[in-house]
Amino acid sequence: MEILKTKGIAKHFDGVHAVDSLSIGFEKGKITGLIGPNGSGKSTLINLLTGVIKIDGGLVVVGNNEEIKRLLPHEIADYGITRTFQDVHLFEQMRVLDNVLVVLTKRNVFASLFETHKKFHLARAEEVLIKVGLWEKRNELAKNLSYGQRKLLEIGRVLAMQNGFGDDSDIFFFDEPFAGLFPEMRKIVISVIQDLKQKGKTVILVEHNMDIIRELCDHLIVLDSGKLLAEGLPQHVLSQKSVLEAYLGE
Amino acid sequence: MEIISQLIVNSVIAGAIYSMVTLGFNLIYGTAQFFDLGYGVLTAVGGYAVFYFSKMLGLNIYLSIVLGVLIAGLIGFLIEKIVYERLRKQKASSMVYMVTALGVMTLLQAVISILFSSQFQVFPVTINANTYQILGGVITGVQLITLIISILIMFGLVLLLRFTKFGKAVKAVSDDVEVSKIVGIDTDSIISKVFFLGSAIAGLAGILVGFDTGIEPTMGFSLLLKGVIASIIGGIGNIYGGVLGSFLLGFIENFGIWKISGEWKDAISFAVLIIFLLFRPEGILRKK
Ligand SMILES: Nc1ncnc2c1ncn2[C@@H]1O[C@H](COP(=O)(O)OP(=O)(O)OP(=O)(O)O)[C@@H](O)[C@H]1O
Ligand SMILES: [Mg+2]
Repeated sequence: MEILKTKGIAKHFDGVHAVDSLSIGFEKGKITGLIGPNGSGKSTLINLLTGVIKIDGGLVVVGNNEEIKRLLPHEIADYGITRTFQDVHLFEQMRVLDNVLVVLTKRNVFASLFETHKKFHLARAEEVLIKVGLWEKRNELAKNLSYGQRKLLEIGRVLAMQNGFGDDSDIFFFDEPFAGLFPEMRKIVISVIQDLKQKGKTVILVEHNMDIIRELCDHLIVLDSGKLLAEGLPQHVLSQKSVLEAYLGE
Repeated sequence: MEIISQLIVNSVIAGAIYSMVTLGFNLIYGTAQFFDLGYGVLTAVGGYAVFYFSKMLGLNIYLSIVLGVLIAGLIGFLIEKIVYERLRKQKASSMVYMVTALGVMTLLQAVISILFSSQFQVFPVTINANTYQILGGVITGVQLITLIISILIMFGLVLLLRFTKFGKAVKAVSDDVEVSKIVGIDTDSIISKVFFLGSAIAGLAGILVGFDTGIEPTMGFSLLLKGVIASIIGGIGNIYGGVLGSFLLGFIENFGIWKISGEWKDAISFAVLIIFLLFRPEGILRKK
């Protein structure tokens, strides 16, 4: 079943068709690799699907009923959709622990006004930070972390995110989570993604390293100039001539 | 010796009033990220609401105070909802915010003047007519209450920001609005609540000033300027910095006029502001 679909979704930046009436779907419980040369529209697609930028045309379908024309970023979380950014976005002036605790906030603000963080929130934050190897750094300010640690913290935050029912998120977008990471850190991210799959979560992974793509992905979607170039099983897609050409031709 | 004690008392009281204005101002500046020059007028809104309820309607003074605080908060909230939220949607430039805020201030001041005249007014009753001696200085009951309330607000705010989830969300919005949205925080809702809170604090400050010296429609502007100066001295956006800056400003002003006429007070405050802007624009506590 496709948990998230686009129908002719489009975005252009004065003249550049970054995403060009694209119709694709993401299978529930699978890891889908989203690949394509630089500038092919991968990050733009994620931005559209997470409400960070406005959709110019087309629709998004979440689950099997809701057709959405306009996504608001703060509502995305309620749909169970969460993401990391290619250029890491953190709460720089907040401690590592608070960067995770803040997403465990009830979204109804009146309910949260005098509510303090409960034991189970702290326990959840601890669990997540241990998973990404940052528990020791919990009292550091985010801005003082190294590049790799920042990426891991963002991934930790994504793991802590909750959907509108207060459960873990369902759909995870990772925009080049491995870029610039040391091998030990890569292992952590691989294990995070594999765990998510085990829990039946849907993962969309943007990545340029084809070894990682082969290792992790169940399905591949290849974009080129904002259009769908190829899609299917990784071993099939990666041997297609058009795909190779798109990569070599960049 | 006596004069020094009195100057200390005066400085502390001025600092207490400034710190309330500064706290609210900083809170709004932090989350909505603009210099809300219209903020000061909410002190007058609070003050005149109490004047209206207690003097014109003859309500109990404590009830009037509660209503005054709520009305100031509500008006701040409505201004945010009706005006600033739209500006944010349009991604307005800081110039547009500035002019709009000045417009809001002028409008509210004019409405107050039309309803109550621009004359200086006093409340019909006081909340504490006693005076107390502290180290040879005299402090009035109202001033003592002002001091206590400002300290309570300061600690209340620190606790709220530090320990509640609301506080975490406020910090998150102050840190990065875009990331806040993406992690599911309804930033507009947080900002409007901050406006309510900040405006209610301004209203309370205006009410206390009213009990101490009286009210006039333009009272907010000079309070706002002092709040802005205190914020900049202490480190804009930093709660502790704002409080520190407020008390420092209170002391500088009051000791500055020790040997000269009181008319110099504002000149001294602005001289301090200029010195800070030139030599330490990030303020005392702001980390670079
Ligand atoms: N905010 C923007 N303003 C103008 N043009 C943009 C903007 N964002 C993306 N683009 C353009 O849209 C196209 C797609 O960019 P996008 O970042 O989605 O590519 P990508 O596939 O993520 O590339 P990469 O692999 O380098 O991350 C590019 O031509 C890019 O220059
Ligand atoms: Mg990209």
